[in-house]
Amino acid sequence: MLAIKELYAGYGMVQVLHGISIEVPQGKVVTLIGSNGAGKTTTMRAVSGMIKPSAGRIVLAGRDITGKPSHKIAKAGLAHSPEGRRVFPTLSVTDNLRLGAYPRLTLGRPRGDVDGDLDKVFDLFPRLRERRDQLAGTLSGGEQQMLAMGRAIMLNPEVLLLDEPSMGLAPLLVEEVFRIIRALKERGVTMLLVEQFAAAALNVADYGYVLENGSIRCHGPAEKLKNDPAVRAAYLGQAH
Amino acid sequence: MDVLSQLLGSGVAVGMIYAVIAFGYQLTFATSRTLNFGQGEALMLGALVGLSLVGHMNYWLMLPIVMLFGAVQGAVVERVAVRPAIKSKSEFGWIMATIALGIIFKNVAENIWGHDQLPFPSPVSQTPFTVLGVHMVPMQVMVIGGALLMMLAVELFNRRSIYGKAFVATASDLDAAGLMGINTNLVITFSYALSSMTAAFAGVLVAPITLAGAEMGAVLGLKAFAVAIIGGLNSGVGVIVGGLILGIAETTTAYYISTGYKDVPGLVLLLLVLAVKPAGLFGKTVIKKV
Ligand SMILES: Nc1ncnc2c1ncn2[C@@H]1O[C@H](COP(=O)(O)OP(=O)(O)O)[C@@H](O)[C@H]1O
Ligand SMILES: [Mg+2]
Repeated sequence: MLAIKELYAGYGMVQVLHGISIEVPQGKVVTLIGSNGAGKTTTMRAVSGMIKPSAGRIVLAGRDITGKPSHKIAKAGLAHSPEGRRVFPTLSVTDNLRLGAYPRLTLGRPRGDVDGDLDKVFDLFPRLRERRDQLAGTLSGGEQQMLAMGRAIMLNPEVLLLDEPSMGLAPLLVEEVFRIIRALKERGVTMLLVEQFAAAALNVADYGYVLENGSIRCHGPAEKLKNDPAVRAAYLGQAH
Repeated sequence: MDVLSQLLGSGVAVGMIYAVIAFGYQLTFATSRTLNFGQGEALMLGALVGLSLVGHMNYWLMLPIVMLFGAVQGAVVERVAVRPAIKSKSEFGWIMATIALGIIFKNVAENIWGHDQLPFPSPVSQTPFTVLGVHMVPMQVMVIGGALLMMLAVELFNRRSIYGKAFVATASDLDAAGLMGINTNLVITFSYALSSMTAAFAGVLVAPITLAGAEMGAVLGLKAFAVAIIGGLNSGVGVIVGGLILGIAETTTAYYISTGYKDVPGLVLLLLVLAVKPAGLFGKTVIKKV
């Protein structure tokens, strides 16, 4: 569904990614783990067009999206819930969610049942239903994270990128986030997940990649990575 | 008392013109953190194009055509002067570029319409009347109503339509808006079109009161800029209050002190605001994302 091939990207003169390749098959959850600064967020930004790759190819559902602007990539069916949530603080919860469906509302993508999907998101995140008319800027951190995820789902994406959805959340909310990722997986949503809680991420994922200094160090079925001594020592000791 | 009420009437009318131009400054600042320093020239072009058209057609038909002209003119300014500067990451390039384009527009206008101040026909009667004890001419009422209507229409658009929400989203977080599938470059162009459209509309409104000419834009654009700073670059209420303060201060100073000093109170206020509350009287520090 999503194929990243020999991707090079960075910021200005600084190269961060050195030719990484990642496959996210349809209906699967793939996780990308690695320590702080390894390049996980940069990978996601390059895929969703927030930064331009300097080389390599990115193919989404058979379409080459390499170097395209974000809005075209979103229309092609890629939803990206970015690091740091990035909800629109001066808009209401409902408006944020409807903006997630912007290409559907403006005929860039098949419209389908936007209001029905809004309802489904509210079923998934009952807190958001309670606060539907509240400005997003007044939500708690956990609620904003729910909103960022809900907003991404509203696209009805071919592939969903989640960048550290549990960042900065209290333990109870972290569990909630993983419960939702599981629920999405059961619905068949294809996902690329970046998480600081590598063990939990490998539990929900089908397949995993380990990123180190901008290169893929190893990859394999999640089950296998979980039991790999090197991976255990480096990433599964504690959350970081 | 009678004089004061007349002064108030004209002060409010002038103030609303400042407000609506200042509102235009806010539109482009919101989406791109840039301003069109040729905003006064957009107003001037609107007035002069309107003047040329109004001889051949009905006033109310001329108005939408002038607005359309303004929108196209604003889009051109964005494409030619602003986008290249943003692209090349030049922090202040857009300032020089929009000023330069403004000067070019002014020169073109001088060549087409000459250097004289031309009378502009008023669509409404010239007979003064009294509302709530304030003496006004109908054109002043039209200026006030038109300016308010224009700002209200844009505000409604932003609140009600999905495109308006895309505008607000772009203004609050460009990258995140792109992730939503919003073509943020187009939104920025659109904000310039909207801003110049507003200015062109203001030009047609104000021309029957001030006369129309290639020179008319410079001072109005500058005063409206002061209003945008006084009121705050992100506050709709701020520009209205700022506009009214400046408009009334000008007309009363001109009468009670001297016409020569009419610009002083507003500029003193501008300096005061910059010293005491640089975000503007009503400027809010934008809610930071956590
Ligand atoms: N906006 C940026 N500008 C310049 N360098 C950046 C930027 N964002 C991240 N980096 C650098 O890129 C590298 C990878 O960062 P990132 O992709 O955010 O890592 P991760 O998400 O794995 O923690 C780091 O060295 C970081 O300092
Ligand atoms: Mg990161």
